[in-house]
Amino acid sequence: MKEIQYNKAINEALMEEFARDEKVFLIGEGCQVSSVETTRGLVDKFGKERVIDTPIAEMAIVGGAIGAATMGYRPIADLMYSDFLYAAADEFLIKSAQWRFIHGGRQSLPIVFLAAMGGYRKLGPDHSHCPYSVVLHHPGLKVVVPSTPYDAKGLLKTSIRDNNPVCFFFHKALIGYKESIPEEEYTIPFGQAVVRREGTDVTVVAASYMNHLALAAAEKLKDQISVEVIDPRTLEPFDLDTVLKSVSKTGRVVIVDEDTKRCGFAAELMAQIMEHAFDDLNAPIKRVCAANYPIASGPLEKYVLPQPEQILSAIRETAGC
Amino acid sequence: MKFTKSDLIKLYTNLVRARAFDTLAKKMLTEGKFISFYHEGGWGDAAGVGSTTFLRKDDVLSPHHRAHGFPHLIGKGCDPKVYLAEHCGRSTGCCTGIGTIHAAFEDFGIYGQTGILGSQFSFSVGWGLAAKKNGKGQVVVIHFGDGTVNRGNWHEAANVATLWKLPIVYVCENNGIAQYVSIKNSYPLEDLANLASAYGMPSVVVDGQDIVAVAEAVGEAVTRARAGEGPTFVECKTIRISTHGYGSPDYCDGGLRNHNDVEELKKREPIALFEKKLLKQKVLTREDMDKIKKEAEAETKEADKFCMNSPFADDPSIFDQYLYAK
Repeated sequence: MKEIQYNKAINEALMEEFARDEKVFLIGEGCQVSSVETTRGLVDKFGKERVIDTPIAEMAIVGGAIGAATMGYRPIADLMYSDFLYAAADEFLIKSAQWRFIHGGRQSLPIVFLAAMGGYRKLGPDHSHCPYSVVLHHPGLKVVVPSTPYDAKGLLKTSIRDNNPVCFFFHKALIGYKESIPEEEYTIPFGQAVVRREGTDVTVVAASYMNHLALAAAEKLKDQISVEVIDPRTLEPFDLDTVLKSVSKTGRVVIVDEDTKRCGFAAELMAQIMEHAFDDLNAPIKRVCAANYPIASGPLEKYVLPQPEQILSAIRETAGC
Repeated sequence: MKFTKSDLIKLYTNLVRARAFDTLAKKMLTEGKFISFYHEGGWGDAAGVGSTTFLRKDDVLSPHHRAHGFPHLIGKGCDPKVYLAEHCGRSTGCCTGIGTIHAAFEDFGIYGQTGILGSQFSFSVGWGLAAKKNGKGQVVVIHFGDGTVNRGNWHEAANVATLWKLPIVYVCENNGIAQYVSIKNSYPLEDLANLASAYGMPSVVVDGQDIVAVAEAVGEAVTRARAGEGPTFVECKTIRISTHGYGSPDYCDGGLRNHNDVEELKKREPIALFEKKLLKQKVLTREDMDKIKKEAEAETKEADKFCMNSPFADDPSIFDQYLYAK
């Protein structure tokens, strides 16, 4: 085992996959250096032909990745911040998601959209989005949201080897997080949630950085409420079975989602639980999400994004104590 | 660039075939055989045929939406009947009837078609990069109109394509009207080729109704691209004697288009212009031309029959395998 930081785990996955398959290349603004060190050093090892710096041109980056993918390459589009994907909304949400489907399944588009998501850095409404609910509204795109260095590495390797467009959204609040991972190579399959903490009273579903907040809340409440914490790891495909199994045990659910509450992933998951496990529920499902405002910059951010105390009270209320 | 007699006959044959398919497409839409819509060629078809007829099979092509790309696909050598069947929602269509207006012929370097115009600029970057990486001298030929080039992704693509010397030819089919807005209300200068000069991308303006002039200009641009010298912008001044989408009124700039203006455009019908030259140069006789036209008509009849004899796409169980590749 070796200790590795979240962003370095991403870097390691890239290094290994670049060496494994010469069709893999990276394209993005400043990706030869990378402000968060995820792609750093790749250019020294694999050259400028495979680590392509671009101007600020999201449509060219995303469209360029799609074009190259149709011709047999496996591009990684480095968008820096996931918010910037909106600048290429047609290419990203319409084209990459639908291209294979609308052309009769003739082609595959092995693309990774690599971007940092999330708030808690007070960076405001242009650099804090979690755009996965928008992505999930466009069938054809897979969504990976790793919460640990181990998952980041294993899931990124799987993302690069997947023959479909995959959004790999790492969380910028987790960049400095360290843990031990195996020395030897490993990958993690999509669609396998992890039960991070076992419990019997309340199920909490929380992905990415929210999973850490949920675990902290569970720890705080441990003497009163036994909380089970599930990390979905990938939102598409989504491991509903693990959630339903937990619900059948606890009968009570809190969903923590950093994205905007209205029409967000939490709303979708609530609906799915009610469709599949209504009879198992002993209380209404609760959700803790970003308030229905743009993400405020600076000190006001905390009034929009989910806060630890909100998670604590949601769990308490659901548990009836 | 010198064209042989057989080159000129090939150009003429493809142009006649493209027109025959445009005529057939309008007829089939009227007859209810087409599922969605059709944006007729409006006699702007010489640019599409002239720019594609001499491409290599492995060159990448993005067809124009006018005449739904039939001139471009025919020029490239694709079988137009499977694209026609696609329009009819038949399972024999090039996208098995699920795309209707989408063309895909990977064996001919056609990796799909977009309904949101301008995406082809963004894709051109990736196609150009892949062509360059492949190292086989492939060239990417992108078609678009005077309307589409106003999209911002033109700028993003033109900039990096020139910067990285990507092997791309941007063929602008400027017919002077984008849906219902004339070019005088959408671009301040005379030539759209000015858009290339901002990046130092070479450009040329040709008479888009002169199929030989188009083939020559694109041919030179292709030669440059194959030699690794980067992209070229070829502006073909063409016409649209019809409305935007077949069946809709011929609007322009807030009202109906001036009938006399359209009559004036009709003097530039490209087949007649080409025939005059071919007769003068004794490449073809009137009888030869009639024979080519008859053959084209027979081909369209067969294509119509092929479509009508093909089953409708009606199997939603394929959706899952179309959604994701294994």
